[in-house]
Amino acid sequence: MPPARDAMANRGDDDEVCPVCKSSRYLNPDMQFLINPECYHKMCESCVDRIFSSGPANCPVAGCHKTLRKARFRKQTFEDINVEREVDIRRRVMQILNRREEEFDSKRAWDDFLEQREEIIANLVHGTDVAKTEGDLQRYASENMRSIRANQAREAQEASSFKEQQTHEQELARLRREAAKQEYENERRELQASREDVLTRLAAGRPGDAAAIAREGKKVLLKKSSARRSEEDRIRQKQAALRNSDARKAGQAGTAADKADAAGDSGLIKGLKKIVTPEPEKPYDPFGGIIPNKRDYYTLRDYYPSSYLDPLRQDTRMQAGGYDLQEYYSRTLMEAFAGLGCFIDEEVAQRDPAGSLGASGSVATQGASLAAVSTAGTLDPS
Amino acid sequence: MAVSPSVLYPASYEAKVTSTTIKPDANSSENSSYQQNQFPPSHSNNEREITEQLNDDVRLKYIKDKRLGEGTYAVVFLGHLRTKPASFVAIKKIKVNAEYKDGLSMDAIREVKYLQELSHPNIIALHDVFSSKDQNLNLVLEYLPRGDLEMLIKDTNIHYGAADVKAWMGMLARGVWFCHENFILHRDIKPNNLLIAADGEVKLADFGLARSFADPYLNMTHQVITRWYRPPELLFGARQYSGVVDIWSMGMVFAELLLRVPFVAGNTDLDQIAKICEAFGTPTEDNWPGVTKLPNYLPTDSSHVVPLQGRDFFLRQFPTAGPVGADLLMSMCTLDPKKRSTACRVLQHGWWSTEPKPTDKKNLPRKPDGIEKMGHDLTRRGGEVDDTTFKNAARQLNFSGARG
Repeated sequence: MPPARDAMANRGDDDEVCPVCKSSRYLNPDMQFLINPECYHKMCESCVDRIFSSGPANCPVAGCHKTLRKARFRKQTFEDINVEREVDIRRRVMQILNRREEEFDSKRAWDDFLEQREEIIANLVHGTDVAKTEGDLQRYASENMRSIRANQAREAQEASSFKEQQTHEQELARLRREAAKQEYENERRELQASREDVLTRLAAGRPGDAAAIAREGKKVLLKKSSARRSEEDRIRQKQAALRNSDARKAGQAGTAADKADAAGDSGLIKGLKKIVTPEPEKPYDPFGGIIPNKRDYYTLRDYYPSSYLDPLRQDTRMQAGGYDLQEYYSRTLMEAFAGLGCFIDEEVAQRDPAGSLGASGSVATQGASLAAVSTAGTLDPS
Repeated sequence: MAVSPSVLYPASYEAKVTSTTIKPDANSSENSSYQQNQFPPSHSNNEREITEQLNDDVRLKYIKDKRLGEGTYAVVFLGHLRTKPASFVAIKKIKVNAEYKDGLSMDAIREVKYLQELSHPNIIALHDVFSSKDQNLNLVLEYLPRGDLEMLIKDTNIHYGAADVKAWMGMLARGVWFCHENFILHRDIKPNNLLIAADGEVKLADFGLARSFADPYLNMTHQVITRWYRPPELLFGARQYSGVVDIWSMGMVFAELLLRVPFVAGNTDLDQIAKICEAFGTPTEDNWPGVTKLPNYLPTDSSHVVPLQGRDFFLRQFPTAGPVGADLLMSMCTLDPKKRSTACRVLQHGWWSTEPKPTDKKNLPRKPDGIEKMGHDLTRRGGEVDDTTFKNAARQLNFSGARG
């Protein structure tokens, strides 16, 4: 017997005794062992009940001072406790670092991420830099709560849709099989019926007609089978088209979900795609950003007394044509004040904050601004 | 702006330009065949040299590619910046017209004069002006490759809804409001003067009939605006009018967008008046004080008087606009210009904030081959209907004697 198997067999024997209460399988055939992922020490169900029923308590194994809770005890899946532990760690890390390939800029970034995740798992399994790694992981988890949730939800959805698709396909296959069976049955029955028909006709008819009747029977059969074949083709094509459209729909659903995800920037993972959240829609501005009736230096009144303009108010023809004195007032005042408050040197300074303009330049612009103001001031308002 | 000397050139041109400015005497002998055969240099007049030089600077900024369209009044070319082949422009070359032997045509002057002043997303941009050989005027205009609103209205394959109409009307109203805010009357608003840019923005084009608001007592011509879009006061021959003439045209465009056919399409001016009366009500001294005093007012048969149409008429006629939209349309199509909404009032209307929200301009319905249409639109002269069935009905504008 090879030594390895021997060792396993021995350990198997050891397993039959609870390390806490020392009761053995022999005395208690229903005995079940449980472990807690805090320390992975094994004990029997009755020990767990006995020690942890009244609340959290220390692990009864000598030298282990971990506080354990009853709720977290579970059955061991893998025989090797190290494998069990690694699987647990892996599951936990994968749940937190659940980024998907679509979220990365490049294949390279995705591969880097995978490597980084393996490194974290390995660190935790082998106990190197545990505190730092755990810290990183917790920080990442709290910072990226939303994207982690979203990815979890998506994974769950994918799993369920995959299952659905599988059952759907199975159902389709079953229907196809049934149809084929039915078809075969029909064919057989028809064949039988036509044979019987030929026989009865042969029995009833004259001996000279025998050959003709036989030929006729064969022809009918042939026609039927060819019609059936074309019908089958048609059904098959339809089903293929259906399957394709299903697949496409599933693909679309996937990409739509990707876009819905909004991920924050994480310090831990590099190379994530920048996700731009669309700006909230602004209310429609009919004026397109320009403020109507904005006048800096004057207010427009409804009426300015003038012997020049007053007769116009009485002129019915002009009134009927819609001539609007208000427009004239507005224009006249605007032209009178146009150019006021234009300080070219200020505008130039704003446009060119580096101040690269030389001394001569500033003098020139100042001169220009003075000129502009003076011309504006002398503008004839009429 | 058109002849700004501070424009940048590719290196080769810069070299030429500097050499000519330094040595004006060597100009003719040394270089630039283009100058030689087009502008025989006159050494006597130095001032002329400079203007020619500036003009050449602008002219050489652009390269004409292909002809987009030709009309009786202008030819439109597709062009691009010499420095940037991807930047397209439309170059509108005004033909030397037989009517205006002594100078430039009125339309061209108006177009340059007003487009130069206006810079707004909903108004076609005039980048530059230059003269080419034979002193032809060339306007370098914004390139608007997506055709016009008329094309979209007429194409039965294109479907659009209330939100799209609202988006288009919003852009039109903004453009018109900006013109009026700068005291400019457009006077030829109609669907085929509303061009569409590559990003879907509607742009007001063709300022061939534009003018600034008139001073008091000054007569303006009433022979403006394409007939179907002409307001009743112009049909009655009013010589003093205001910005609301453009609002009536806007209302007609609005109605046409909703119905997809011109709303009141008369064959003659008289027919147009009759159709307006039939559609909106007969103007009387009660609903429009002073209307009977207008020069071309025609007293209507008292048996034929149609009462002024109320809100329910507009609601019935234009169900797609909704009650608020019908209200806006009604305020734009009021017979009495004094009671009609101004452009600012139109934009302040509640319709813009009601559902449905205007479509985003990039999602608006579009038609692929609009370039030809642009060429066609820009060659037309103001006030013409270019529908072939109405070709004979189109009026030739007579500017002689008219002041504006």
